[in-house]
Amino acid sequence: MAQRTSVLVDSLEVVAPTKRKRSWGLRLGGLVPVSVLLVGLLFPLFRIFVHVLDDETWPKLTGFFSQEVNRQTVFHTMELGVLVGFFGVVVAFLFAYVQTQLDVPGKRILHLIALLPIVSPPFAVATAVIVLFGRNGMLSSQLLGITHDIYGLDGLTLVLVLSFFPVVYMNLLGMMQRLDPALVEAAKNLGAGQFTVLRTVTLPLLVPGFASGFLLLFVEAIADLANPLVLGGNYTVLSSRAYIAITGEYDLGTGAILSLMLVVPALSVFLLQRVISNRKSVVTVTGKPSGSPQYLTGWAKWPPYVVGVAICTLIVTIYATVIAGAFTRVLGVNNEFTLDHARYIFSGVGSEAMFDTLRLALIATPIAGLLGMVLSWMIVRKLGRSRGAVDFLSMMGIGIPGTVLGIAFLLSFRNPTKLFGVTVLPAFAGGSTFLSGSLAIGLMFLIRSVPASVRSGVGALQQIHPSIEEASTSLGATDTVTFRRVTIPLIRPALISGLSFGFARSMTTLSPIVFLVTPDTKIMTSQILGEVDGGRFGNAFAFCCVLIVFVAVVLGLIRLIVGDGALRRTKKRTSPTPKKLVPTPQTAGQI
Amino acid sequence: MTQLPAKQSSNQSTNQSAATRSSQDLHLRGIVKEFPGSTGVVRAVDSVDLDIEAGEFLTLLGPSGCGKTTMLRMIAGFEDPTSGSIFLGDQNIGALPANRRPMAMVFQNYALFPHLSVAGNVSYGLKIQKRSKPEIAESVEMALMTMNLNGLADRDPHQLSGGQQQRVALARAMVMKPDVLLFDEPLSNLDAKLRVHMRNEIRDLQQRMGITSIYVTHDQEEAMALSDRIVVMNKGRVEQVGTPGELYLTPSTVFVADFLGTANFLDVRVESFGGDWAKVSVFGETKEVRAHPDAQSSAQRVLMVRPEALTVAAVDEATANATVLSASYLGARAELRLESQEGELIAVTSDPEPDQMPRAGDPVLVSFDGARTYLLPN
Repeated sequence: MAQRTSVLVDSLEVVAPTKRKRSWGLRLGGLVPVSVLLVGLLFPLFRIFVHVLDDETWPKLTGFFSQEVNRQTVFHTMELGVLVGFFGVVVAFLFAYVQTQLDVPGKRILHLIALLPIVSPPFAVATAVIVLFGRNGMLSSQLLGITHDIYGLDGLTLVLVLSFFPVVYMNLLGMMQRLDPALVEAAKNLGAGQFTVLRTVTLPLLVPGFASGFLLLFVEAIADLANPLVLGGNYTVLSSRAYIAITGEYDLGTGAILSLMLVVPALSVFLLQRVISNRKSVVTVTGKPSGSPQYLTGWAKWPPYVVGVAICTLIVTIYATVIAGAFTRVLGVNNEFTLDHARYIFSGVGSEAMFDTLRLALIATPIAGLLGMVLSWMIVRKLGRSRGAVDFLSMMGIGIPGTVLGIAFLLSFRNPTKLFGVTVLPAFAGGSTFLSGSLAIGLMFLIRSVPASVRSGVGALQQIHPSIEEASTSLGATDTVTFRRVTIPLIRPALISGLSFGFARSMTTLSPIVFLVTPDTKIMTSQILGEVDGGRFGNAFAFCCVLIVFVAVVLGLIRLIVGDGALRRTKKRTSPTPKKLVPTPQTAGQI
Repeated sequence: MTQLPAKQSSNQSTNQSAATRSSQDLHLRGIVKEFPGSTGVVRAVDSVDLDIEAGEFLTLLGPSGCGKTTMLRMIAGFEDPTSGSIFLGDQNIGALPANRRPMAMVFQNYALFPHLSVAGNVSYGLKIQKRSKPEIAESVEMALMTMNLNGLADRDPHQLSGGQQQRVALARAMVMKPDVLLFDEPLSNLDAKLRVHMRNEIRDLQQRMGITSIYVTHDQEEAMALSDRIVVMNKGRVEQVGTPGELYLTPSTVFVADFLGTANFLDVRVESFGGDWAKVSVFGETKEVRAHPDAQSSAQRVLMVRPEALTVAAVDEATANATVLSASYLGARAELRLESQEGELIAVTSDPEPDQMPRAGDPVLVSFDGARTYLLPN
């Protein structure tokens, strides 16, 4: 059938195509971020496993589950994870439901209040909850006369749900907004009432979002350290046990074992969550969404609205407590106005911590941004088979609980790393090292910020059709030039927004840092822990206020620089290309 | 293998344009492209040889999945052939990365840089080549003028209409003065009217500049309107190469006959062969028809009759050899579906009278002109 054309030109021999060389600059450019992740992430994790295999520690591991207290700790951790996952998804869905399905007043305000906890420092919520609902709580015992003990599982669940639900809320909101209204119209056209539509169309389409949200919250909850320390009471979980083992008993072996117990479920759930959320969403199947969303009508819209408003009131009350607490002597006991706490923060110990934290976060964040850009570009455009591995590696920084990573850093970088007797990596964690341990803290900030910038970079790149970059190549640009002149300008807004969340995270993170602070390098969050431990809630509240202001100012500045659209991902600027459908969840999620 | 009377139609335009710029011939030899698929290796392109003359407008035509876009991307350098070579003149460019090939591509979705203005888009490649500022400004202005984009230099791509975006993409490619222009279904995102308009513009521009052009499309009308020669591809292989007229009137396979325009295929009994003609018996009479050289040696043959070659006359039932199944009035022509002893036929008549259209069930007499049909090996 097929027929060849004309005569072959004799001088032109058929030869196997020569493989083209990729530019060396790019290979090196790709090597740097990957090696940073290898040194700052895989190597410390590896050290935990090595440490557990130690002669001294191994017997402790094999006997771990024979002790009742250990079994209980593991059970508590899982129980907390499941409860927070469940209630967090319920609250998140409720808010997304109010936003997308109900025509009620004040929706915009509810939305903003629901996002508040994203930037909240650790302890802010927990401490405020103690002041409000604790043994001598302003609301519970003083106002209502209830003597319920908030310390323990119920208090922890409340605080963790309030702290972590906004991320899931944002994911679900995105999914529900993308839901094609024509689907609802089609269902109604076929005779379904509004509740039937909800039950048979809307909810089933959101199942991946629910599952992914549950797992996300599960990981956050079991990884959290600050809240169990403050609010746990006798309810011990793995992270708080590990913290006490390391800082109280100087028992690195037990710390390593507990880390292992924590990292195994956390990483497996993290993996599962990624599998679920990476699956292409079924929400947008074909064609353009058409029609306009229809709101729920009748009495049915009021119950969810009332619950939503109640939760928002609680969030506002908590933040009001934080601010009020910063300016009163002892809130709830002695409500006299004072500037003592502010003075403590802005002079002496407090200000040192403030500047150390700010300096390290400001250095680590742009580097994380650069690494994130290169990594996301490699993941989306350049890598073949190794794509999955690099993607996983770059997201692992948030999959591993902070407590584990902190202990791993301690194990890895407190002493020089030797390979065949040669020091390949000097010690850089701990007070006696170069720059008094701030290198380790900076590296930690970096490792924990990379995922946010990779996630937003990947999200932005997937929206840019590859032909845009091919056009640049076709016009004579090398890969490096294309990356600089086309790719970076296109993904920059998204990246900056990802970075700002990375920065917020660095400023407010406690669990990995608490193991790395030294007398000369203080970090605000660990100072707050000290203040809360010592019962000086006023100072803690003042610190929290400063952190909130910092984060708010930085987020505001970024919004100003890259425009309003940046915080909602860049859509408009890539408009001439037809959109590739990207998987819906995630982009905002993993920060 | 057929002896193709190739290229005479393209020679004229080539000769004219050769004077204006020194384009080079493009030769593809034994090009194979394999992709790993879920069920093993998939051959997207299978041993393709092609020679494209300098200044020629060549179209790769075929259904989706036939390998035409893969071919184009290999020529551009975005894909490496699994085996085979690509020569520009006598230089093997297989090892050249895409950015060092003297080619420019116009993409299906235009691929305009959304962060750059119209002028920024058009000047992009020139800046990469580090041309001087005045030279760039002059080239960009020329290009914008040629493409009727005056006054839009400072606009952002998303402020432009689809047709304007298409023009910017063209200008961006043209301004590079490439040896070869590559088009990847550039008109498929435009509406029907604009598509016809743009295709005329592309053809005029190519004729004026004399740039060797390779154009990918699945639209046979577009291919025929634009091309000096068309390469019909199917399942990764070249089915036939030829001028639009050759492909339409003397297709070498049933696939080509079917893909370009509409064709009736009649199972006929061949009475005798004589070189490039044959005597066949059809509709109860013996006719002399043109025949493909391979038809004689083939075990099975089929007679291709284009709809416009059929003459349909209203007759009484006694003399009729077919009945009307349906008749559609289409303005300049009418399309008739007929039931005959040779099977279902499609006939086209030109300039029909709307109130004298045949009705379903009407008896008709169908005949055809043997010179406008072609006997094919099947």
